[in-house]
Amino acid sequence: MTTWEGLLFGIGFVTQPEVLIYCFLGVVLGTFVGVLPGIGAMAAISLLLPITYYITPEAALIMLAGVYYGAQYGGAVASILLRLPGTPQSAVTTLDGYPMAQNGRAGVALFTAMASSFVGSMIGILVLVLLANWLSRAATAFGAADYAAMMILGLVAASTIGTARPAKGFAMVTLGLLLGCIGTDVNSGAQRFTFGQTELLDGINLVALAMGLFGVAEVIANVRNPDRQSVAARIGLRRLMPSRDDLRRMISPMLRGSALGSFFGALPGTGSTLSSFLSYSMERRIARRPERFGKGAVEGVAGPESANNSAAITAFAPTLTLGIPGDPIMALLLGALVIHGIQPGPMMLEARPEMFWGLVASFGIGNLLLLVLNLPLIGIWVAMLRIPFNYLYPAILVFLCLGVYSVRGLSFDIMAVAGIGLAGYLLAIAKFSPALLLLGFVLGPLIETNLRRAFLISRGDPMIFLERPIAAGFVIATVALLLLPVWKAWRRRAHS
Amino acid sequence: MQRDWPDIFGGLLLAILGAGAALWAAMYYDMGSLRRMGPGFFPVLLGAALFLLGLVIALPALARSAEPPKIEPATALAVLAAIVIFALSLSRLGLAGATAITVLVASLPAPRKGWVWRIVLALGVTVLTVLVFSVGLRMTLPVWPRLS
Repeated sequence: MTTWEGLLFGIGFVTQPEVLIYCFLGVVLGTFVGVLPGIGAMAAISLLLPITYYITPEAALIMLAGVYYGAQYGGAVASILLRLPGTPQSAVTTLDGYPMAQNGRAGVALFTAMASSFVGSMIGILVLVLLANWLSRAATAFGAADYAAMMILGLVAASTIGTARPAKGFAMVTLGLLLGCIGTDVNSGAQRFTFGQTELLDGINLVALAMGLFGVAEVIANVRNPDRQSVAARIGLRRLMPSRDDLRRMISPMLRGSALGSFFGALPGTGSTLSSFLSYSMERRIARRPERFGKGAVEGVAGPESANNSAAITAFAPTLTLGIPGDPIMALLLGALVIHGIQPGPMMLEARPEMFWGLVASFGIGNLLLLVLNLPLIGIWVAMLRIPFNYLYPAILVFLCLGVYSVRGLSFDIMAVAGIGLAGYLLAIAKFSPALLLLGFVLGPLIETNLRRAFLISRGDPMIFLERPIAAGFVIATVALLLLPVWKAWRRRAHS
Repeated sequence: MQRDWPDIFGGLLLAILGAGAALWAAMYYDMGSLRRMGPGFFPVLLGAALFLLGLVIALPALARSAEPPKIEPATALAVLAAIVIFALSLSRLGLAGATAITVLVASLPAPRKGWVWRIVLALGVTVLTVLVFSVGLRMTLPVWPRLS
């Protein structure tokens, strides 16, 4: 199927009324949780996973993807109006979006965020369409050693880029990998770390892990958070349209942000949070008057918002064509596919074209829906943000428990959420990244299987990782990433 | 300012966890060889790595000071207790009973004083939960407490 045929096929698939409804539901729900600080796309997708058992895998994926990029829109709303990032991706948007709101330009800031998100998504879709066939063809050339090396690069990149203490990132990834070992070993059938608990034979429940680490920990941290309780509304929404000067200022940041986001989204292991941070620092670096940043510069909203949305779209490329999730949310979506008995990978484009092209087309339609929906919805989001957290969080807890319970019908999983929630809360206090833990957990079994296979093929010779050009490339990149901070520290010392 | 306790405790805890996992795996699972790895190979490797990383985090932190973290044991206890209570009571008290009790317990640490709003909230969330999960999603769960 050529790209154009595929795209037409996808549009035909998505415009079926039933699929359209799930796409719509997904983006509305995504916006909703994005606006609600504390419940990110991660928690929402975990909550929705069980519900997707009742619908077709295509509709399920389209809905969950809608939640994912819908949350990027919603996250910007809370960042601008409340200086509370609804999602980690939109944390950067608070830097200039909130000052804009304080200057009485909340409407313009929201409009900028929406328009940038839309442009970013559209460019992301374009890149995804152009890249997909190529990536899936390239992927068939991948052997076990290449897969293992690539996933290790992904983990190293995720735990070193943008963190002050790489050791803490590595520790979380390692802990995640270790937790991924729990359960029955696929190769030998041995039970590892189950301690006689039959509930652990299939390993730790992914939904319970995600809910405990993110949902429960966020709730505990926010119950007595004064920012969360006193949601004042002094928001000038009358003027939405940006001035000609604003428009002129936002166009090139949008394009640069989209390019940056598309690139980093497609790399496994990085993702949209990193892209938005990078876009912001790039805009500030090349600005003629960098001192305006942090005081309500429209470029500081336009760049990051287009970057995180384009990254959110292109992140589907490695997830679907290689079976390698670029970030924890992608890992969760990958889990959802596997639950439905679909193995993402090089063959998916041929085996399940309706899945791939339907999803791509749904991105376009979903983003269009978001743009049309969001401008009139702003009033509703503002009203919802006024619900005190007092009333909101007990309900969130009950829904979270039921969401976990509905996966397997075991009370054990709810108990696990409590235990994992405690661990997640302590991790957040000590500033360890639970997202990296989840990434390690999801990739662990895949890495182990491929490593074992690679060594089996090479008869125990580690040179297989250097003899195969693809694997060697990843190994070199990994080593470079590991040595980069050492080199930087050495140079800093040499300077002073 | 005080010593960087989160990193010290966190690092040591991870080191202990890693050492424990590595030793356990080495004792009870077959290591195999590089050519044909057994079920113990990967866990031992990871446990050892976690042990080292834990030390790398904890040891430099001994000489470092940091802002004390904000911990709220009471809030954490109430929220976690609510989840445990939900898990234990779901089959006995049914969806409605378990939800009501869970909301009441969970609302304990909320800054707003008084009991009336807590009871109203418990009733409201219970109705919503039964409507969404039992009526809407047709989850197979008893709604009411078993009287026998």
